[in-house]
Amino acid sequence: MNVAQQLVNGIVIGHAYALVAVGWTLLLGAARLVNFGHGQMYMIGAFVAWWVMAATGLPYWLAVVAAVLLGAALGAVMQRLFLRLTLSQDLVNLMIVTLGFGQALEGAAGLAFGPKPQTLASPFQEMSVHLGPVWFTVQDAILVGATILVFALLYLALHRSWLGAAVRMVAEDPRLTALGGFKVSRIYMGIFAFEGAAVAFAAALVAPRTPILTSMGFDQVVMTFVVVVLGGIGSVLGSYVAGLGIGLFTALFGALVSPAYTTAAVFALLIAAMVLRPGQLAASGSFAR
Amino acid sequence: MTHPLARLAFAGVLAVLGFLLPRLLGGSSLVYDTLVAIAIFSAMSYGLDVILSDLGEISLVHTAFFATGAYAAAILTVTYGFSAWTALAGAVLAALALALVLGVITLRTREFAFSLVTYAAAVVCMNVASNWDFLGGSDGIVGIPPLDLSIGGIELTAGRSAEFWPFAYLLLLLTLYVVHRFRRSRLGQAALMVHMNPRLATMCGLDGNRIRLQVFLLSAVISAAAGWLYAFQRAYVGTDLFDTYFLVLMLTGVILAGRRILLGPLLGTALLLSQKSFASLGAYGDKLVLGVVLVGVLCLCPKGLASLWPRRRAAAVTDAPANTNPANTNKARFPSPVWERGQG
Repeated sequence: MNVAQQLVNGIVIGHAYALVAVGWTLLLGAARLVNFGHGQMYMIGAFVAWWVMAATGLPYWLAVVAAVLLGAALGAVMQRLFLRLTLSQDLVNLMIVTLGFGQALEGAAGLAFGPKPQTLASPFQEMSVHLGPVWFTVQDAILVGATILVFALLYLALHRSWLGAAVRMVAEDPRLTALGGFKVSRIYMGIFAFEGAAVAFAAALVAPRTPILTSMGFDQVVMTFVVVVLGGIGSVLGSYVAGLGIGLFTALFGALVSPAYTTAAVFALLIAAMVLRPGQLAASGSFAR
Repeated sequence: MTHPLARLAFAGVLAVLGFLLPRLLGGSSLVYDTLVAIAIFSAMSYGLDVILSDLGEISLVHTAFFATGAYAAAILTVTYGFSAWTALAGAVLAALALALVLGVITLRTREFAFSLVTYAAAVVCMNVASNWDFLGGSDGIVGIPPLDLSIGGIELTAGRSAEFWPFAYLLLLLTLYVVHRFRRSRLGQAALMVHMNPRLATMCGLDGNRIRLQVFLLSAVISAAAGWLYAFQRAYVGTDLFDTYFLVLMLTGVILAGRRILLGPLLGTALLLSQKSFASLGAYGDKLVLGVVLVGVLCLCPKGLASLWPRRRAAAVTDAPANTNPANTNKARFPSPVWERGQG
């Protein structure tokens, strides 16, 4: 086995996990919302990018922009739907409602895009870089760069800007934020729109690696769930580290032990972490660390 | 309807009418198929209902219990050639074993964390089922024989849907009876107290964790029994049993009518599956409908459709302690002070 190649694969996959997870991380940290519809939002992002390229012939980068815009719109729709539950912090009902939202998205995408698998063709997927014993595609390099950029920007925005302070305040206490004269629903709108835009951006960058299907939502992001929860609720740096760690773990576990049981192994890790350290989930102090 | 005998007679008439329902609806094979599916899936939903309504937690692992029942039935009858009765015993035991492990793991987690851990457990189960050859791997197990529950000289077999109906209906009635008895039993009352007021429960000498575990085991058995029958009806089990569709169907069925209403999950499941059978919009359209219904109910009337019916609500308040939860009503009337937030 080529260890160096597996490490490179792990780093690329890990950045993909982290980028797919970033919107969800913010949503979970700021609104306590476990978004089980995240996978279907990813699928919609990929299909919108594909459709823009297939139907209008626009170049790849414009398709990425279109997917991000539509993703943000989808996030805004979610905010309109879930605002009441979010404000009352009915966490468990919120969780179920996102399951239903995901089902609805999957049904709608099936009606709109049909059952056939498609390929989101990125010109960078064909270009590869060979460095000694390892190789990767230019798309992979762009993915890693974009992920680092998004995380850095989000971290700076949360810690150095007025807007970030407002988001952290909502995460800490929505009522108090409202007393402070902020429009809580507007801040939530921004958070939800970021979730939608971020996952669509991730989809447009990650999806060229594999064929896309309208039923792929669950499988594609199931690891993201682990990244988000294991990274610590809403912790931006935590989810980057968790994404990278799980990427390396899956690459090495898949190569050394068994590719089939990778998901089970990662989820067993998650269960162990949650059961041994349940306090980690309840703590709100870890947000935006 | 207050007299116990009158109530019993009413339930009896309802049960007989329910049994004759497929014939009253014309007796076509589509009607039989639909009603058998309604009976099986609502029985499955009652497993979740017990957790959701009485324990106040949301389990996302009940598809795995349903699948455990189905897989146990398939393996015992196809691989080992046992009878359907043995398969039922095997299904119950397998579900109890799985529930015991999961129950012990999730014992200390509540609400949010409980749902996350159960979701993770469901993913692990699905991953194992699709890769372990003993469980058929990704191909599943085919060729499950027709249901044969003959005892001694009495022949009880079912091949087609029309023959299947009495068994599915009996399972449903049995499930309803168990859930009804459970809610009036010591365990059911204790579960409610542990849910509503854990401190009071502890002061009354109840062991909250033990009660949660017992209810969890009961609910697993209910869902597994439904899975057992489903395996015979479909003659095939596969990893599609873990599909989110079943989970969403269960949750929507339970939530649609309202919590802690005995017939609620049955009515909810019946509405959803009738739409699928008689007014289908294709596989994708049906998914869309299911999702929209779940989102709509939770966003517009989180207490279920029954809460829109004023008479029913008045009755429910006197009947069911669920609606008189002091924590909930207080929250609704007076916004809790800021310093109390985060403790609840």
